[in-house]
Amino acid sequence: MTEETRRTQLYEVHKKKGKLTVFAGFEMPIWYKGVILEHLAVRNSVGIFDISHMGRVLVTGIDSERFLNHVITNNVSALQPNSAQYSVMCNANGGIIDDFVVYRLNPEKILIVFNASNRKKDYNWLIRNAEGFDVEIKDISNNVAMFAVQGPKAEETLQKLSSTGLSKIGRFKCEHSRMADVKVFISRTGYTGEDGFEVFVWDASLSKPGNAVKLWNAILEAGEFSGIEPCGLGARDTLRLEAGMCLYGNDIDESTTPLEARLSFVVKFRKGSFIGKEALLKQKNEGIKRKRVGIRMVEQGIPRPGFDIYDDEEEKIGYITSGTFSPLLKCGIGMGYIRTVQDQKRDLINIKIRNRLIKGKIVSSPFYDAEIYGYKRKTTT
Amino acid sequence: MVKVEGYEVPEGLYYTKDFEWIKVEGDKIRMGLTDYAQKQLREIVYAELPSSGTVIKQNEPYGTAESVKAVSDMIAAISGTVEEINTEVQSKPEILNEDPYGKGWLLIVKPSNLQAELSNLMDFNQAVQWHKTLVKEG
Repeated sequence: MTEETRRTQLYEVHKKKGKLTVFAGFEMPIWYKGVILEHLAVRNSVGIFDISHMGRVLVTGIDSERFLNHVITNNVSALQPNSAQYSVMCNANGGIIDDFVVYRLNPEKILIVFNASNRKKDYNWLIRNAEGFDVEIKDISNNVAMFAVQGPKAEETLQKLSSTGLSKIGRFKCEHSRMADVKVFISRTGYTGEDGFEVFVWDASLSKPGNAVKLWNAILEAGEFSGIEPCGLGARDTLRLEAGMCLYGNDIDESTTPLEARLSFVVKFRKGSFIGKEALLKQKNEGIKRKRVGIRMVEQGIPRPGFDIYDDEEEKIGYITSGTFSPLLKCGIGMGYIRTVQDQKRDLINIKIRNRLIKGKIVSSPFYDAEIYGYKRKTTT
Repeated sequence: MVKVEGYEVPEGLYYTKDFEWIKVEGDKIRMGLTDYAQKQLREIVYAELPSSGTVIKQNEPYGTAESVKAVSDMIAAISGTVEEINTEVQSKPEILNEDPYGKGWLLIVKPSNLQAELSNLMDFNQAVQWHKTLVKEG
């Protein structure tokens, strides 16, 4: 671990305004004013995150679609230009190499945005498996900055700067645009459960971050009317957890399959062969032995990664992979894996927190009421 | 009360390098987390405290304070028997952030070996010096 810590285009801003931490080798803000405040800004109004540390790879060439159908589990053929999809890619055992979002820019140009912690691994995996396909794989991570603007006021905020009518961009749709005189690619996607956009700043390399800084400041100014907050990785984690989304390295890794992680909606067995298909099909037929679940604490206590899960008869049935205090629900929430039991539905469980069994229950995600919070909310703020 | 780079260090208390303070009140002592500790933890959302009657030992953990992201052990500044806990901290953990030396006190303890153990603690002047080095080391 002698590798030098890396920085994003926004480092100077983070250093000045935020509390820094090292995440996946990057010096990033853990918070600016505080995790809870930033979290609630996103749920109630809007927040902006620098996510330039994430990996971005461009796959081009006539075999782009065929190649990606071979390496990832979702069906790229179903992905129209200017659309995005969530997916994973697996090793031959069905273990998850990474989870990411795939964006189809045009029929032969596909962008993948993956976890910062897997930048090198994913790029190498793609290269290694590209043999026999007519594709070019280019790591553009250092040339493109990326922000997430999330929350019920995200559209209104960005519309003030955008040349494109944003309301016509549906969820998981994307397009090229300009914002504050800067060339961008925007998609209606995110990692918070809220409506919002991810904005790619196309001409903003690490050595020339001017456009990224300019747009960051412009968005903060445009969002002033609604109390926009710059948000750090702390709120990013609590928001995604409340929404029930996986964090690679915690909730999924090469020892878990998408079926166990309850991500089977991104595994398309009917599309033809792909890496890991046989192993996953076998597991599907035999049945999974453990599954990912969401847990909400009934008693006071916060589940943390590594804590053991017991059933209501105090038998150990699993372990926690992510856990936090939910700023919205004001109680401990988490996710983890439990043994599957035939013909039996579990509900009440216990978490062992410092040698005491604390009561919790298995709940569906998102953890919050989807009629009040999140992109499907019925109320307006 | 002095402030070392924004961190409050009141006079009349004893301090540990585990970020606890104690105040001698007759034959009892009152114990809590320092301003520096609460600012490092930030947004404390949960505190687990021992029940009354629990015997605690100097330099050993007696409870935990949790922020959204982290769990920290709270390490006893002195040995003794817990006589009273601040139940308000359990229902409103944010008072640990708002008033660490006042409303955010944690325990009242009947000490078992106070005079000998006090010599292991920092007095006000030592604590001020120590906070200065803490800040310098970041």
